[in-house]
Amino acid sequence: MKQYLLKRLMSGLIVLVGVSLFSFALIHLIPGDPVRIMLGEKATKERVEQLREQMGLNKPLVVQYVNYATGVLKGDLGTSLKTSRPVSMEIAQRFPATLKMAVSGIVVAIVSGVIMGILAAKYKDTFIDYAIMSMATLGMSLPSFWLGLLVIMVFAVKLGWFPVAGGTGFIDLVMPALTLGVLLSTTISRLTRSGMVEVLSNDYIRTARAKGMSEGIVLFRHAFRNVMIPVVAVVGLQIAALLGGAVIVEQVFNWPGIGTLAIEAISSRDFPMIQGIVLFMGAIYVIVNICVDLLYAVLDPRIDYSTSKGGM
Amino acid sequence: MKKNHRTRFLKAGSLALATTLMVSACSSGGDAPQQNKGDSAENQASGQPVTGGTITVAFDREPDTLDLHKSTGASVVDEIAQFMGGALLYTDPVSHEVKPYLAESYNISKDGKTWTFTIRSGITFQDGTPFTAGAYKATLDRILDPKTEAKGTLALVDTIKEVKAPNDNTLILELKEPFAPLLGNLTVNGWLQPLSMQAIEKGGANYGRNPVGLGPWKFESWQPGESITFTRNDQFKWPEPFYTNKGAVYPDKLVAKFIKNRQTMMAALDSGSIDVATLVPAKDAKKYKDKENFEVLEQMKSGMGMYLHMNQNNEMLHDLQVRRALNMAINKDAIIQSALQGEGVPAYGPLPPTIMGYDKAVESYGYKYNMDEAKKLLDAAGYLPNASGVREKNGKEMQFMMLSVEARSKESQLVQAMLGELGIKVKINTMEQGAMMEAELKGDFDLAVGGYSYFDPDILYLFFHSSQIGSFNFASIKDETLDQLVVSGRTIIDPEERKKIYAEAQKRMIDQAYLVPIYVDKQFTVVNKRVKGVKYSIDRLQLNDSWVSQQ
Repeated sequence: MKQYLLKRLMSGLIVLVGVSLFSFALIHLIPGDPVRIMLGEKATKERVEQLREQMGLNKPLVVQYVNYATGVLKGDLGTSLKTSRPVSMEIAQRFPATLKMAVSGIVVAIVSGVIMGILAAKYKDTFIDYAIMSMATLGMSLPSFWLGLLVIMVFAVKLGWFPVAGGTGFIDLVMPALTLGVLLSTTISRLTRSGMVEVLSNDYIRTARAKGMSEGIVLFRHAFRNVMIPVVAVVGLQIAALLGGAVIVEQVFNWPGIGTLAIEAISSRDFPMIQGIVLFMGAIYVIVNICVDLLYAVLDPRIDYSTSKGGM
Repeated sequence: MKKNHRTRFLKAGSLALATTLMVSACSSGGDAPQQNKGDSAENQASGQPVTGGTITVAFDREPDTLDLHKSTGASVVDEIAQFMGGALLYTDPVSHEVKPYLAESYNISKDGKTWTFTIRSGITFQDGTPFTAGAYKATLDRILDPKTEAKGTLALVDTIKEVKAPNDNTLILELKEPFAPLLGNLTVNGWLQPLSMQAIEKGGANYGRNPVGLGPWKFESWQPGESITFTRNDQFKWPEPFYTNKGAVYPDKLVAKFIKNRQTMMAALDSGSIDVATLVPAKDAKKYKDKENFEVLEQMKSGMGMYLHMNQNNEMLHDLQVRRALNMAINKDAIIQSALQGEGVPAYGPLPPTIMGYDKAVESYGYKYNMDEAKKLLDAAGYLPNASGVREKNGKEMQFMMLSVEARSKESQLVQAMLGELGIKVKINTMEQGAMMEAELKGDFDLAVGGYSYFDPDILYLFFHSSQIGSFNFASIKDETLDQLVVSGRTIIDPEERKKIYAEAQKRMIDQAYLVPIYVDKQFTVVNKRVKGVKYSIDRLQLNDSWVSQQ
């Protein structure tokens, strides 16, 4: 197990090195001189050169990257060109908002997605199934900005229940969580349904029912547990994506999270910030993926990483 | 004498490059009509002002820092910082005259190089330290000190050689050379407000998130990505004379909220989450004109909405007849109707009506839409249509690459079609703004969509003087007559003289058809009528008379 974890962490590290190299290269390829951006067009050539030297931007790219990477290892993601504050501090300040929205969105998604999926499977080929599945298809094809605006129009403007762009309190969380929940629940419900349909036709389910177990226990304990692995895999990916900032939903609800920060950084060409966010998102993906894999073992005792040498 | 000085950083070299460009300076109005159509402030202020409540104003961008000297210069910083500031001078919103404010009076020496201000006494910063000539000297010195690495603000005052404060009430600015736009720069109550050195020392690296000014609103807190909150400065009793309210402001709080998504901002306005939406696009503002609960304040933009640069290094565009033909082939009204829902005015010269020195005569002698005449000019210049309808001369087809940005895509396509009718093939190259500016600086274009926000006719120097080739003079215009005019325009202080000079400069530019002026657009602010007495003048909200009605 330990060995497995170590291996995963190592490969995660390699992924992150790749991510940092990629973001570093990308930023140096797109037009726009960061020093000119910082100083403005009226700055004299000497000032530009001076600052370039100060920031180490006159050194060869390899040296620049090594310097950057060393800084990152020490927890220094650089300084934002826009606010002149440490990138790590800016990200840390925005992360709680993103975390709040991600967690609440995913909770809504799991609860509604799983329930809808199980119901659809149980009432397969009935009106309930069709209704739930067509809703899921509809939900999947809705653009998030459209759904977000619709939610605002209905619940905030027409009904006046929630504030628009209020803050990050509980009441402000309802609309974005609902939007994210609806969008994400569609995949979960479809996965749950197809898995459940397959499982429910198994003999052991018939046996369980024959033993006179209540339908709830049959569905959740006997059937659903076997469907959880693909669901967890998808939810894991969704969480990773959300923690990196649900860019569009954050924009629509004016949520001060990582997604909004990323957009700002890109539009103001705040290179260190963009790099920092990309790296941060990469790290989140790696960590969440490791957690998901570990969770498999918990969910399915047949998966045992300590003995795994190929195969599962 | 009518004039209106006001400084601001250039919002756009090509379009709205607000955050990256740092050109200063100012002044607007001139003979321009007052555009405050939505100015029902007087009617609105009926009823007695009451104290209390909160005004929430939405901006579509967030300041980088409120340590003004270190800001990269986005205009939103100035728009918000002015709530807690003030300036030596101010621009009267009605007469557009520059008048003393934190300075009691001022005097400019004959050679234009020594400017002496008498500073008002009895004014204190929000941290209790007194405002003196010495305090303002310290503020200016901080900007001028290379160690500060001042960005945008430096451009506003870099003509100052030395600042002296012989006593608490006398401030002397020694200039490197006479520089007329400085007068307008000194009215900028956001960027050039006096700062408390004690607060800067105390705040250290965190000062930018905990600033101290001397204006009507005190900084309270900053929620990154969300909002900045100000509270009433109870000590405040020195507003600009044009305010009715001579004391502290009425509301308890002022919240500047950042909402980047336009639809979200409008929904927030509809739902009552915000009271004021700034810089609302014409198509959104229109919907509020008929709504009972809202008021739309309308103002012509202080700058040019759209024009075309014509690269003088392109042999075809170097030909005056070709440039004139291009001018006549553009139907400005059609573009305004189609792209701006009619909310704009056609432009005939390089300056908008809002800038001091705008010569109304350009409207009569500027180029009008006349396709037949345009065709004749190109015929005369030797460019004749070939088999595929494209004009050519000596076997070279008349083809232009036009730089544009997404926000001007509609306009660009219309221009393309209009020039197509003339027999010119235009290829639109839509770029991201930063990339577009890079291409412009390198001169990699034939035509380029341009626009700017500015408050002083000195913009003509920055954009068209030959010394600016390689910088903002993207089109590489080299014209000695024009050079001389725009240099005198910035060195002669007398406003009447300046107006005459700039009238000449405009005439020269139109005569030589150096650019294709297209339109000046409008700016809209939508206000929930729950808040009374909101005014908008010269690109900023004026809230000293505002109060929140109890419903």
